[in-house]
Amino acid sequence: VAAEFVVDETVGPSCVDVLTDALPLRVDSHHIERRVWFDTHDWRLFRAGLQLEQHLRKRESWLVMSNLDGRRISRQPIGRTAVTPDDLPDRATRELIGVRALLPRVVATGPVQVLSVLGPEEKTVARIVLEGPTTVRDGTPVGMRARVESLRGYDKHAARVCRTLDAIPGFGPAKEPLFESVLRAAGLHPRSFRSKPDLEFTPRIPATQAFAGTLTQLREIVRGNVDGTLRQLDTEFLHDLRVTVRRTRAVLKFAHGTIAEDIRTKYAVELKWLADQTSLSRDLDVYLLGFDDLVSHVNAAGELEPFREQLTRHCKRAHAALNRALRSERFAALLDGWQNELAVAGPAERPVIEVADDLLSRAWKRVAKRGDAITDDSPAEAVHDLRKRCKELRYLLEFFGSLYGADARSEAVTELKHLQDILGEFQDAEAQRLSVHENAVELANAGTPAATLIAIGRLEHHLQLRQDAARAEVADRWHRFNRKHNQRLYARMVTSR
Amino acid sequence: MRIVASYSIKGGVGKTTAAANVAWLAAESGHRVLLWDLDPQGGATYLFRVRPKVKGGGEALVSGKRDLHDAVKASDFDNLDLLPSDFSYRNLDLLLDAEKKPTRRLGRLLDGMADEYDVVVLDCAPSVSLVSEGIVRAADLVLAPLVPAPLSVRTLDQLRSFIDAAKGPAPDLLAFLSMVDRRRRLHRDLTEQLPKEHDDVAATAIPMASVVEQMGVRRSPVVAWARTSPASVAYRSLWDEARLHAKV
Repeated sequence: VAAEFVVDETVGPSCVDVLTDALPLRVDSHHIERRVWFDTHDWRLFRAGLQLEQHLRKRESWLVMSNLDGRRISRQPIGRTAVTPDDLPDRATRELIGVRALLPRVVATGPVQVLSVLGPEEKTVARIVLEGPTTVRDGTPVGMRARVESLRGYDKHAARVCRTLDAIPGFGPAKEPLFESVLRAAGLHPRSFRSKPDLEFTPRIPATQAFAGTLTQLREIVRGNVDGTLRQLDTEFLHDLRVTVRRTRAVLKFAHGTIAEDIRTKYAVELKWLADQTSLSRDLDVYLLGFDDLVSHVNAAGELEPFREQLTRHCKRAHAALNRALRSERFAALLDGWQNELAVAGPAERPVIEVADDLLSRAWKRVAKRGDAITDDSPAEAVHDLRKRCKELRYLLEFFGSLYGADARSEAVTELKHLQDILGEFQDAEAQRLSVHENAVELANAGTPAATLIAIGRLEHHLQLRQDAARAEVADRWHRFNRKHNQRLYARMVTSR
Repeated sequence: MRIVASYSIKGGVGKTTAAANVAWLAAESGHRVLLWDLDPQGGATYLFRVRPKVKGGGEALVSGKRDLHDAVKASDFDNLDLLPSDFSYRNLDLLLDAEKKPTRRLGRLLDGMADEYDVVVLDCAPSVSLVSEGIVRAADLVLAPLVPAPLSVRTLDQLRSFIDAAKGPAPDLLAFLSMVDRRRRLHRDLTEQLPKEHDDVAATAIPMASVVEQMGVRRSPVVAWARTSPASVAYRSLWDEARLHAKV
């Protein structure tokens, strides 16, 4: 049982006296505490029902993990420096955070008093934690709270304390835990966080309106990832920024005939420029993230260290170039124009469903035509072409899926994803192999020891084998994807209404 | 989960105070700690102000009728829970004997707590019995207090033999001198000699101190309320040695 009460301002200053009159209490501690809540940019902890706080007092600092309703899971001493995933004792939580950085999401400061409710023999049978009034950095203040903490084996006592508090004038049950109030006070809304657009269209709304809404959301996601990309907080910021730019380019393509042609062409050029700026940094990020795994296949970690160092140098340079682009007037103009020209609905013409039907049936035909032409002997370009068309179809399903019912959409995406996985594996292995080769030439010119170059040769060979293995599966995966069931699924989607 | 047993063949040598202080220190460093008071006298249970009562008694726990989790009580300290003593533990030997593979039973029961606790500290009754065999079998480290006396080396030998004779993988042994009065020459000499001559004797010795006796009055581990006292410093140092042995 964890229960929180809002304490009325009039009771606030005499709160301890009021409680002491009502319950056998001992004041255990009274201090000013700064609390920093940590989470990833995409709120992975919050979404998993967790909150992670650093409690900083004058002489001590604690790391506390709790459920969202305030029930504590763990508490450990920690230094006063920034918290990293390595500080967490629980492996599952570290895995949940993954490659993302733990960021201080909200900071609040205020008095905290811990009162022990005493039972027989002066044993603590429950605790009342008085928190606040709390000052929230960059936010509005949050009033005083009284939180009842139950202790294991003494649940009945805690329930009794809750009932007592409930009966004291000036104490009322809190509608939400303190954490959520602090988040709201700071203007943060984790539940509405999206890393991709959240689109729900009704069939008859004008296509212009649907596109404007989608482009508005895409712009917000790009903006939300710029700062983290500039500061290289973690590699996912750039990844999400890049994927969102790719999605936006696809939307612009689909908007042929809906958005004025001159505007569409202008932003297609600008977005291609932006996408190009992100390519090299992202490729190198991916390389370095998977480097240990990659070199483990050729068992030559030591020899390949100069290769890693070269990649790290290239990565730094690429990010510096990307940062220049993201700080440029051209990028600022792109974001401004995006808001003023792309994210506004033009005159209403066709309803969105007509546009979606056209695009979807055309995209399906394109995929089918290229897929049917694929044999084990088809050139790599044909595989790349199929991959691009599949991506186009996938984006269409994402954007317009709400028009076709959740079940059909999710089944179509799942089926397509299986095909895309193998096409992606083929493409990635090829891109990495070519990059390994280029790097090897550069290292050779710089007089790198032969052992390193030989190991790189083995790496290139390993990537070639991976690419060959993926290539050998393409035709088979296509036939599995193109079975009658899926053909009917797509046909049903555009004719079922 | 690592299991540390505070155990001695002899009574009144500082097992319970060691168990209580070590458990508190482990909890303070952020580990989730369970202290199981297996002594029917309930010294540790008294120190933590918990009622010495388990519903259904030792029989219900040993037979599995009552889940160990349900019998756990929170202490007044963060991260530190207590499995209280019960007077029926005086018959624990008989209860274990009624089970299949009796010396493995305690370990099996504790396996079920591994999700919730990082460290379990067992406060054992002084005896050589089926219970102590089970404790030795379950533990990763046996923490054994020795009083500084000419017979302490013999006691240590007996303890080693007992551990070696127990079935299953032998736990690590860390003996330490307890109730050391530095005014006495014999105590000073043994405190210096024993750790040098025996690898399994801790360099730390716990002093005879009135603050340790005060624990019974204050009903709280000395490390919690007299943090800078020589006794607390010694317990802290003992825990530093013990956690290395127990790989905590």
